[in-house]
Amino acid sequence: MKPILLAAVLMVAIASWLLAGCAGARPKADFDPEAIDPQMSPAAETSPSQPPAKPSTEDSSALSDEEASLLEDDSGLPEDRSEEIYTVADPLEPFNRAIYVFNDKLYFWVMKPVAVGYRAVVPSPARGGVKNFFYNLTAPVRIVNNILQGKGQAAEAEWARFLYNSTVGVLGFGNPARNNPKLNPKEEDLGLTLADYGIGDGFYLMLPFLGPSTLRDSAGLVGDAFLNPVAYINPWEASLGVGAYNQLNNLSFRIGDYESLKKAAMDPYVSFRNAYIQLRQSKIRQ
Amino acid sequence: MTDNRWLFILTMMCLLIGHSAAGAEAKPVAAVSTQDMTPMQTVQTRIDQIVAALTDPELSKPANKVAQRDRIWEIAIPMFDFTEISRRTVGAKWTTFSEAEQKRFTDLFTRFLGNTYLDKIQGEYHNEKVTYLKELIKEPQAVVRTKLVRDNAELPIDYRMKKEDGQWKIYDILVEDGVSLVQNYRVQFQTILQKETPAQLIERLEVKIKEQQAQPAPQTK
Repeated sequence: MKPILLAAVLMVAIASWLLAGCAGARPKADFDPEAIDPQMSPAAETSPSQPPAKPSTEDSSALSDEEASLLEDDSGLPEDRSEEIYTVADPLEPFNRAIYVFNDKLYFWVMKPVAVGYRAVVPSPARGGVKNFFYNLTAPVRIVNNILQGKGQAAEAEWARFLYNSTVGVLGFGNPARNNPKLNPKEEDLGLTLADYGIGDGFYLMLPFLGPSTLRDSAGLVGDAFLNPVAYINPWEASLGVGAYNQLNNLSFRIGDYESLKKAAMDPYVSFRNAYIQLRQSKIRQ
Repeated sequence: MTDNRWLFILTMMCLLIGHSAAGAEAKPVAAVSTQDMTPMQTVQTRIDQIVAALTDPELSKPANKVAQRDRIWEIAIPMFDFTEISRRTVGAKWTTFSEAEQKRFTDLFTRFLGNTYLDKIQGEYHNEKVTYLKELIKEPQAVVRTKLVRDNAELPIDYRMKKEDGQWKIYDILVEDGVSLVQNYRVQFQTILQKETPAQLIERLEVKIKEQQAQPAPQTK
């Protein structure tokens, strides 16, 4: 079953790529009816009804909402009694803290030594290729979530990126789309889609192995797994193994980051919780 | 690189003032160089100076580690408004601190941040480049938007600044389009201050700084 799926994906990819000429150019309207929002055509790009796609470098006069919110900052002033910090309830804190300790030990005792050894043995270009491959493989997650959020242009860009990297980039091991800013939209997932639909975080959850999350984002993770080809590998042990390998490979690029963040904190658990919530809020705003 | 001439002059000044300038005497450098500059110019001037110190072949010698560290601190400290940073990280509870506690806290937190972030920069600088995107100004506040480029990865960093006596000073740093460092510390301090007194928080900071000094600068990469 797996080879057939792969072959099908490949054939569609190559066919579409041929149709589109080069994916580096603007995707054509006959690209893929599913991946393209009907209102999105290159001509519609500047219409005012367009949802804000706002690279801040382009026009310097008008402030985007995001920039305005960056400037409006009264938070934390002792005079200001209204606490503006967005927080998520943490009713399971004792449990979450226990999981945090588990993840912390897992990192220092298992993940880090393995990742350090792996990094020493496998050269950086190979690890980069693996990273690109897995990222490319999860393109369906990002395409579908962009569509679900009505972000047609970004869905189109993800689709074009997928085709481009799957072909020119040789099954996604290369990342020739890297140098084209138009082919690198913001990463979307189901947690962000649910947030877009008005669903709140629920409460904070520290997941074993996976780290900080919330009720909503955990549900998103489960949903996204259905769109992740790795989840369909048989048997499930192999699927988990491949997933773990992907995590390990990613970790090999950022050994030391966790230590630095932890060292910079007075209460690491609270620091990571807040960093996660802030990061998700920032992604939801975009 | 239109600032090359400036950089040269500033570097020369740094060299002239040199190591003899301890903490307090470093101020003239700051006053001369960033007075009346725009927020972006201020940040850029300082970061260029820090990069110059990091890449200086003489200062990069292992034997000159301490001198390089002092140089970086000398440049970086006037970039920030540590009183504002401390006020905002403590938040509403700031008024429950006595004046002496406020001062003590500010001093300690300054050292803590310096130990944490400046030493990390010194230990891990790998020719990262900074791209200055734009500055948003609404006096007396401003935001300077930048990108840190390392190999293939980009990290958006925004500096929140406040004007004081004609000089723009940083009071918060936002990474990844809006993750505020001040907010991150505020939440941590609030958790501590719910159960403990300001004096106990200050004590915790002292312990943390002792820990930092006990171990050498991080060399993880």
